[in-house]
Amino acid sequence: MLRNLKKYRIPYLFISPFFVLFLVFQLIPVVWTGYISFTEWNGLGSPTWVGMDNYTLMLQDYMVSDAIWNTVAYWLAGIVGILTFALMIALCLNSDRLKSKKFFKTTTFLPYVCASVAMGLIFGMLFDENAGLINEILVALGGGRIPWLTSSTFSKIPVIILFNWRITPWFTIIILSGLLNISKEYYEAATVDGANVFQQFFYITVPLLRNIMFFCMLTITVDTWKMFNESYILPGPGSSNTSLFQLIYQSAFKTFKLGYASALSVILILILLLISIVQFVIRRRQGEV
Amino acid sequence: MNTMKKMLLVALLVVLMVVPLFAQGSKDTQKSEVSSSKGYPDGTILVWSTGQPQFRKMYYQNWIERHRDIAPGVNVEVETISTMADGQQKLAMYALSGDYNSMPEIIMLDTVGIVELSSAGMLLDLTDYYTPIADQFVDGAASDATVKGRIYGLPDAVRPQLLFYNAALFEKYDVDPSMMATFDGYYEAGKLLKERSKGEVYLSYIDPANYTWRYWGRRGLMPQANAKIWDEQGNIVIGSDPGTKLALHFLDKLNKEGLLYKTRMMQQPLYEATDEGKIATFYIGAFWDEFMRKNIKATAGDWRVMNAPVFKEVGTGGAPVSTSFCFVNTKTNEYADLFKMLWYDFQTDTPTRNAWVGEMEKINGPYSNPVAKNILADPFWQEPSAFYGGQSFRKAEGDGLANASKNMMVTASDAEADTIISAEIEKYVAGEQNIDQAIANMDKELKLKVKKAKLP
Repeated sequence: MLRNLKKYRIPYLFISPFFVLFLVFQLIPVVWTGYISFTEWNGLGSPTWVGMDNYTLMLQDYMVSDAIWNTVAYWLAGIVGILTFALMIALCLNSDRLKSKKFFKTTTFLPYVCASVAMGLIFGMLFDENAGLINEILVALGGGRIPWLTSSTFSKIPVIILFNWRITPWFTIIILSGLLNISKEYYEAATVDGANVFQQFFYITVPLLRNIMFFCMLTITVDTWKMFNESYILPGPGSSNTSLFQLIYQSAFKTFKLGYASALSVILILILLLISIVQFVIRRRQGEV
Repeated sequence: MNTMKKMLLVALLVVLMVVPLFAQGSKDTQKSEVSSSKGYPDGTILVWSTGQPQFRKMYYQNWIERHRDIAPGVNVEVETISTMADGQQKLAMYALSGDYNSMPEIIMLDTVGIVELSSAGMLLDLTDYYTPIADQFVDGAASDATVKGRIYGLPDAVRPQLLFYNAALFEKYDVDPSMMATFDGYYEAGKLLKERSKGEVYLSYIDPANYTWRYWGRRGLMPQANAKIWDEQGNIVIGSDPGTKLALHFLDKLNKEGLLYKTRMMQQPLYEATDEGKIATFYIGAFWDEFMRKNIKATAGDWRVMNAPVFKEVGTGGAPVSTSFCFVNTKTNEYADLFKMLWYDFQTDTPTRNAWVGEMEKINGPYSNPVAKNILADPFWQEPSAFYGGQSFRKAEGDGLANASKNMMVTASDAEADTIISAEIEKYVAGEQNIDQAIANMDKELKLKVKKAKLP
């Protein structure tokens, strides 16, 4: 080992900046988080060892189970909603029949460059129970007012809409890049063979986009599990639409329970690890990875 | 030779990447490089404050300009912190990373923050400075900044709970505002307004998120009902406390009767509803004045202020909210004495303070009543306010401090308790549990998560 290090010292020196940064900013904080999760600590003074107390409390804390289920809902709604809309919009943008493509590409991307907090405030107004535009439209159409952000039943919906609306453009561009890489010859050949538009979509487009879609799915998974801004700026009653990441923040920086917040972070890491492993295993079985 | 060059290049790159990680800030160096022979070293006093401290900076900077003889190269910078807990969190992070150079010299804190940070040794003890001059200020001005008999903050404001009401609505529907001297009368006034306006006018608002607990509960009805979350030993008593039941059942009575307009606090829909004459009163702290003046246009001039109603069972008025400027223990503390002078002048120099307040009124800026007795005695503080139809808001704010209720006991566990209690109140506002279930759940969750309050 030492001989190898000495022999390849120049290559090792070249790659050492990454390892230094990885060590300082990633590995040490993760290990430190693991240690803090077994302590009670308010950020001041020294941590007190409490063993498994934080993990035991987590099992009894309804806010944790609420946050996990909310995040699962955001994740599933994100995967289905974002991928569906992104694919549909990308197909439209890729269509030969569409004129002024540059204009549509730019406007499609606009939601992504808007600040999520600012958009959250606007969505808060739109979904206001008494004065919001959404309810005004519903009333004008003969419906009733829906307590979007004031009832546990509906409070996740505005968060999902805001999140999907903001994130979809980014994935639209990624999927569009995938579509542009598919050779037109496949479609020409399929047309000659008599395949209709749907057959071309399911037998050419979808299989050739599989890698891109897998990448999008992984990225959406990570994005939804670390969702913060949307649920923070559009709070519902109690923990009815709190995300797990938001609960970690609240535990750490609002109630100063850094030990408990670290324990929640460890759980988040494990959940993300598990989801990623499952996705990779499925892909491997399909022979894609 | 080439290998040597490569190694040197890579080593240089590594050093360039790693050194900044461990480097200290340069603030101290800058300060000590150019020091004044006359007084305070050149540099910046950094103040962290909630609200809109840019308006306060106008006073501070003018003061510094007038004291160039002792601080020729000193400037004051203010930074807004969203909440005092936010400031506390940032300060704790700086302390944790050992970055004392980035810490502010001064931070505005409430009691919870003072209790937490003073016990961690992060605030300077100001007892010896404040005690000899305490007589110049209103009684108990520094009591919320006192922990175990030591004073950790200089009082900035002591602001009462008040009742803001739209006099035009009361006149239109022939309801006598003076009946709101008690909470029973307040409820009756709400019923009359609702009945006579055919449901158009609500007595007040209720926030579906955390502001209901903060403004109706912790700062409003709870101290006025002499309610308790903890007993003197820190045991959780909220579930069986009669004061809590009195306070929260009253809120429930207003809500059940449909007297409260459900909308987010401090958001545009609330201001619009207020300007449309849908909301008749605000039972809230005096700080609400700056939000009213800034956001309410159509009904400006219609509003009046009176003391908060009282519970007949208890008989005391609204509890005041104190804020204090605390001196962060930055290790060097080189501007501590200078800021003490600045604070003292702001609190006691009548002409300049009055001039600054006049300026604030012109530009709809925030200001609060002074805590120094000499300024409060000045006729300026009785002058009429246009927004309140000629009534003197400044006088009303002073009057609101009379017969004040005692604030709830504050412990180091109160930040967590607020989150737990607020969640139960929010579920109650959403109609998912009744108020008794909410109180029972507060008790249960506090016992599960906090167990016992950490006393200062």
